[in-house]
Amino acid sequence: MRKYVRYFGFLISVAIIFGCIQKTFAEDISLTATIDRNSLTLNDRLQLTLTIHGTQDTSPPSFPSIDGFTLLFGPKISAETSIINGVVSVSKGYTYVLQPAAKGKFTIGPSTVEYQGKVYTSSPVTVEVVDTATSSGSQAPDISKLVFVELSTDKNEAYIYEQIVLSFRFYFQKGLPVADLDYGAPATKNFMEEKLGDQRQYEEIRDGIVYNVLELRTALFPMVSGELAITQARLKCNLIIQQRREQRDSPFDNVFSDAFFDDFFGRGQKRYPVERTTGSITVKVKHLPEQGKPREFNGAVGTYNMDVSMKTQHVKVGDPITLSMSVYGEGNIQTINEPLLSLNNEKDFKLYPAESNTQITNREELIRGRKVFSKVIEPQKADLKATPAIVFSFFDPRAGQYRTITKEPIPIVVEAGEQEMPIQLTLSGSNIASSKQQAQILTQDILPIMTNLSSLRNQGNRIYTNPLFIACLSIPAIAVIASFFVTRQKERLQTDIGYARDKRAHAIAKKRLVVAKSALSRYVPEEFYSSLSKSMADYLADKFNISAASVTGDKAGILLKQRGVGDDIIEEVYRCLADFDYRRFSKDGGTREEMDHSLKLAEQLITKLERQL
Amino acid sequence: MKIRFIFFSFLIILFLNCGMRSAECGESESEIRNPKSKISRDEAIKLFTNANENYLQAAKGIAAKNNQEADQKLKEAASQYETILANGFKHGQIYYNLGNTYYRTEELGKSVLNYRKAQRLMPRNADLDANLKLVKNSIEDKELPNEVPVVLRRIFFWYFLLSGKELIVVAVSLYVVFMTLVFFLIILKYGWLKRLMIGFSAGLFIAVVSLGIKIYSEQGVSHGVIITTKCQVRYGPGEEYEPKFEVHNGAECLIEGEKEDWYNVYVYVGVKQETGSKPGAEEKVGKEVRKGWLQKKDVGVI
Repeated sequence: MRKYVRYFGFLISVAIIFGCIQKTFAEDISLTATIDRNSLTLNDRLQLTLTIHGTQDTSPPSFPSIDGFTLLFGPKISAETSIINGVVSVSKGYTYVLQPAAKGKFTIGPSTVEYQGKVYTSSPVTVEVVDTATSSGSQAPDISKLVFVELSTDKNEAYIYEQIVLSFRFYFQKGLPVADLDYGAPATKNFMEEKLGDQRQYEEIRDGIVYNVLELRTALFPMVSGELAITQARLKCNLIIQQRREQRDSPFDNVFSDAFFDDFFGRGQKRYPVERTTGSITVKVKHLPEQGKPREFNGAVGTYNMDVSMKTQHVKVGDPITLSMSVYGEGNIQTINEPLLSLNNEKDFKLYPAESNTQITNREELIRGRKVFSKVIEPQKADLKATPAIVFSFFDPRAGQYRTITKEPIPIVVEAGEQEMPIQLTLSGSNIASSKQQAQILTQDILPIMTNLSSLRNQGNRIYTNPLFIACLSIPAIAVIASFFVTRQKERLQTDIGYARDKRAHAIAKKRLVVAKSALSRYVPEEFYSSLSKSMADYLADKFNISAASVTGDKAGILLKQRGVGDDIIEEVYRCLADFDYRRFSKDGGTREEMDHSLKLAEQLITKLERQL
Repeated sequence: MKIRFIFFSFLIILFLNCGMRSAECGESESEIRNPKSKISRDEAIKLFTNANENYLQAAKGIAAKNNQEADQKLKEAASQYETILANGFKHGQIYYNLGNTYYRTEELGKSVLNYRKAQRLMPRNADLDANLKLVKNSIEDKELPNEVPVVLRRIFFWYFLLSGKELIVVAVSLYVVFMTLVFFLIILKYGWLKRLMIGFSAGLFIAVVSLGIKIYSEQGVSHGVIITTKCQVRYGPGEEYEPKFEVHNGAECLIEGEKEDWYNVYVYVGVKQETGSKPGAEEKVGKEVRKGWLQKKDVGVI
């Protein structure tokens, strides 16, 4: 009876275990259709594999509808079971070899399989059959489709100091031997970098082809705002392609022509050096918002939490208490600053700079870590009941807002010190006789290092290359020189009448000509010629610093000659003055055209005189 | 009017000349060759943070008497600080922390050297002064009083409290104010502006003279620190010359000249000299005695 019980128990255990496995398999069953290439010639053969993942206990999947291909043989059935880190995965593959029958693009339709009442369907796959002549070299494989690289970030827009994951993926067709990998990482200027986990290796199906993927991930923390570029990544490697052996007649070739010897000696293998480059990426980095920024915010960006602990709660006045403030979470944990202590009265506690210890706890998906700040505080009064509250503010980029964690004060009991007397510092060996106990310096040590990052700027830069420095030196000098000349000019205009009249003559003449133009438009010849005559006479009077009434044609001629003005211009001035005066007083004002001609003549004459005087 | 203009022009040219020269104040020879930093501020901050972390871990290791690990961490920290500086990124904090690191590794000479460099960039830092004083007390040689008297420090406080660059900023600011006053005086011609201008011109004059002295003391005169455990000061520039006396790590010297791989130095340390073999002969210390030749590799130039 006992034997039957044991046997029965064993059977139940087996059933439970298999039942569990069955259940596990049933949870993620899938059917995939993969091919060994998606471009081939009429002479090539296509290998189609239908794989059922998650179970091996199914009927074969339906053979998909395929135009343009004939089935050569198949299916060849293969089963695979693997256990990785205690996770069991099983699959069953059905491989068919197909022969293309015609050129063109063909779609291998979806295949289906039924399991426990559910129907699972594979994705369709597209294949292109090309002419033999158009394929680039029947012997050399098309390397460009065998390997490629991709560079991507998990976000295109981020806040300053926010964590960005940069992924570099190297795809190479499953089963393709790749060697001598040489990775050239992209330049990530203005980012802080942290490596994320180990290299990942997995399979991915692209256009029906199974690729092995090697993925390298890096966490980036932008340190400045703006459009930041991540340059191209590069990968060099050698592809090892097995070449078909040519027939030889040597008797030794027959002996050593076996594939075993080829593999052993590396014969028949050809190394194709391949270099692949990704595109570059631009990430838009935004400033942290000013709105809602807490007073305690000290630059931490990420998602954090905080624990506070303390070892001693019963102390005497002046005894040290070590507060252990542990900030942990996701973000650039190394650069966060210590949480702030909210003191009601600054004299309650004496504070010492905190020591910190950083630990990256997880590098797999994102950088997560813990930074423990050990801060020593000393209560200075006996009536203190609790430690100060501890406040830590950070910006949560996912929520897009600031968050503040406040840890309530921890109760403490502070007793009065035994002896409150001023400490006298003295070196040992002092000969001062005293009955009081004196403090002795036991050891001397240097003061701690400085860790203030905000003031860390390059002090080695030459100041005189600074544009502000150059501006500070040059602009005042230019302003003073300019003001000197302007003032001098102003003074001369005020004191030297002849100079002032000379300088203003042209402007006044122009104004008069405007009046004349107005008279012309209204066709008032007397007023027109009066203005013209006055403008000419006043202009010459101002230029020679004489009264306008004394300007006659003869006098003007003499004065102009003295100034070296050409005879033709003097003649013209003489004629104009006489003509304008005549027309001014005669009844024959002339036609509008004549008046217009006179105006132009006066304008030209004044301009010519201005150039020569 | 003409005389005034000539006077102003002269003043401007003089100041521009002084300003350009003064800009080089506080920069060593290597910085002149390589004025632009090869690393960005972010990279420098990252290295600086890592170096600080290493230093703090080393301090913990020392406290836990784990000397081997502490030494390793200190070496890493020193190397990281040196990398930042070698790439042209200079800051008083980096020199100070490097001085602390060398003190921990018991390289007192390099510690003094870096504290002195830090002092030029951070002249008002009390921590730095305290650490330098402590290190100087630890060195083997008896140092001669080499500091400026306190009275002079109090009177010419601006000279001792401001770094070369800060003095430039003060001088340029005074110059801007002075020129602004000149500008308004020319335009407005207020009498009181003239009096104010005289005051500022005096300030500007003092600032420019102070700057000149600072440049001379930092650039014109080379100071050095002994960075090897001990080395011999010789009578001439070569191993073939007799040793004169011995100096140790951390001793400071004035470099008066150089020849090939040797510096002609004046060492600020007490030197015992035998005046003869006569019994009872007194120790005599003369200025000439402290002069000699040291190999360049033994001296770090501040």
